[in-house]
Amino acid sequence: MEHNWDFSAVFANKALLLMGLQNTVILGAICLVLGLFFGMFVGMARYSRNPVFYWPSTAFVEVFRNTPVLVQIVWFFFAFPIISPFDINAFTAATLGLTLNTTAFSSEIYRAGIQSIDKGQWEAAKALGMGYGEQMRRIILPQAVKRMIPAFMNRAVELMKMTSLASVIAYGELMHQAKTISTIEFNPIEMYTAVALLFFALIYPAAIAVQHFEKRLAARG
Amino acid sequence: MGYEWDFGIVFRDFDLLMLGLINTLKVTGLALLFGVPLGLILALLRLYGSWPIRIPVGVVIEFLRSTPPIAQLFWFFFALPILIGVEMDPFRASVLTFSLQSSAFFAEVFRGGIVSIDRGQWEAAKAIGMDRNRTLRRVILPQAVKRMIPAFLERAIELMKTTTLVSTISYADLLYQANSIAQSTYRSLEVFSIAAAIYFVVIFACSIGVRRIERYMARTGETTAH
Repeated sequence: MEHNWDFSAVFANKALLLMGLQNTVILGAICLVLGLFFGMFVGMARYSRNPVFYWPSTAFVEVFRNTPVLVQIVWFFFAFPIISPFDINAFTAATLGLTLNTTAFSSEIYRAGIQSIDKGQWEAAKALGMGYGEQMRRIILPQAVKRMIPAFMNRAVELMKMTSLASVIAYGELMHQAKTISTIEFNPIEMYTAVALLFFALIYPAAIAVQHFEKRLAARG
Repeated sequence: MGYEWDFGIVFRDFDLLMLGLINTLKVTGLALLFGVPLGLILALLRLYGSWPIRIPVGVVIEFLRSTPPIAQLFWFFFALPILIGVEMDPFRASVLTFSLQSSAFFAEVFRGGIVSIDRGQWEAAKAIGMDRNRTLRRVILPQAVKRMIPAFLERAIELMKTTTLVSTISYADLLYQANSIAQSTYRSLEVFSIAAAIYFVVIFACSIGVRRIERYMARTGETTAH
C-alpha cells in the first residue's frame, strides 16, 4: 500500500506546534533549574554523616530513582490533589514530578562530585579556619561542579525527553499538541513524524554537546 | 478536614494490579529478548560495516536515543499501521517500540565494551591466525560482554521504568490497571500510591541486585569503573 505523504496540515498548524514546542522548553527549563538547585542540597545531605540528614534524603532519592517518572507525574496529577493544600493543574503536576525526579538524579551527581574531591582540600580549607558551610561553598563545590557538567548536561537531555510525558496529563507541550492536531486532521503519519523530527532537532544538538564536552574534559584530565 | 484513607478497596482489586505487573514484566522481558541481540547487530554494523551501512545505522541509533520514547510509541502505534497497512495492537506496538528503542541503547553499550578492549588482544588473535569474525566471537566479545554486564542491567531497569508508557496506548500494564481501578472506585490517592509502591518494591529490588553485582565485579576487577 502506497501512502501519499502530505505535510500541508502540519504546516497549517505551525502556530499550535510552536506553542507546544515553547511549552516543552519552558517546562524543561524550569524543572532543570529547580532540580539542579534542590539536587545540590539533597546531594549534600546524602554526603552528610549526620543521620538526620542522611536517611530522609536517601529515602527520597531511592523512591524517586526507583519508580517510573510517568507514575510520579500521574500520582501528582490524580492522587496528590486529594491531600494537597493548593490547586494542582497539569503544569504544576508535571513540574512537581519532573523537578523531584531531576532533584533525585542530580543529587547523586552532586554527591559523586563532592566525593571525588581530594580529602586534602577539606583539610586545607579547615586549616584556613573555614567552617563546614564555607568549605563546601568556596572550596569543594566550585571544583566539584566543573567535573559534574557533562553529567548535568546528560540530565538535561533526559529531562527534555521526559517533558513529553506531560502530554499524558494533557499539558499542552509538543507531544500533546501533535496528538490533538492529528485527531482533528487525521494525519497521524505526518504529524507524529514531524514531531519526532522536532524533538530530535531539539535534543540531538544537546547530546552532541555532551559528547564534545566529555571528550574535552577527558583530554584535560 | 482530614482525608479518610481507605486501602481496603484497593486490596479487593489487588489481583488486577498483579495482572498489570505481569504485563509490565512481559513487555520488559520481550523487549530485552529482542533488544539485546539486535543491539549487538547494530553495534557490529556501526563499528565494522562499510559506510553505506555504517552511516544509516548510526543515524537510526542516534534518532532512537534522541527522541522521547512516547513519540516513538505513538509513531509505531498510530502512524506505522496506516503507513504499511498492517494491524497493530497495543501489545505488538509496545514490544516493537521498546525492542527497537532499547536496541539503540544496547548498541552503544556493546560498542563501548568492544572498543574498550585493548588493541593488543586483536593483534594477538591475528598473530595466531584468527580472522576478524573469529577474533570478535572468541576473544573480544567474551571479554567485552563481561565488562558490560553492569551497564546492561542498569539499562534493563531503565527499560522497565520506561515501559509504563504502554499504558498510554491502553496496554494493560500496572499503571493502566491502577488508572482503571481509580476510575471505578474514586480512590485515586490510595490506588496510585499502592501502584507506585509496587513499582518501587520491584525496581528497588532489581537496583540493589545490580549494585551488588557491580560491587562484586569491581572487586574482582572484571569491570572498568565509570
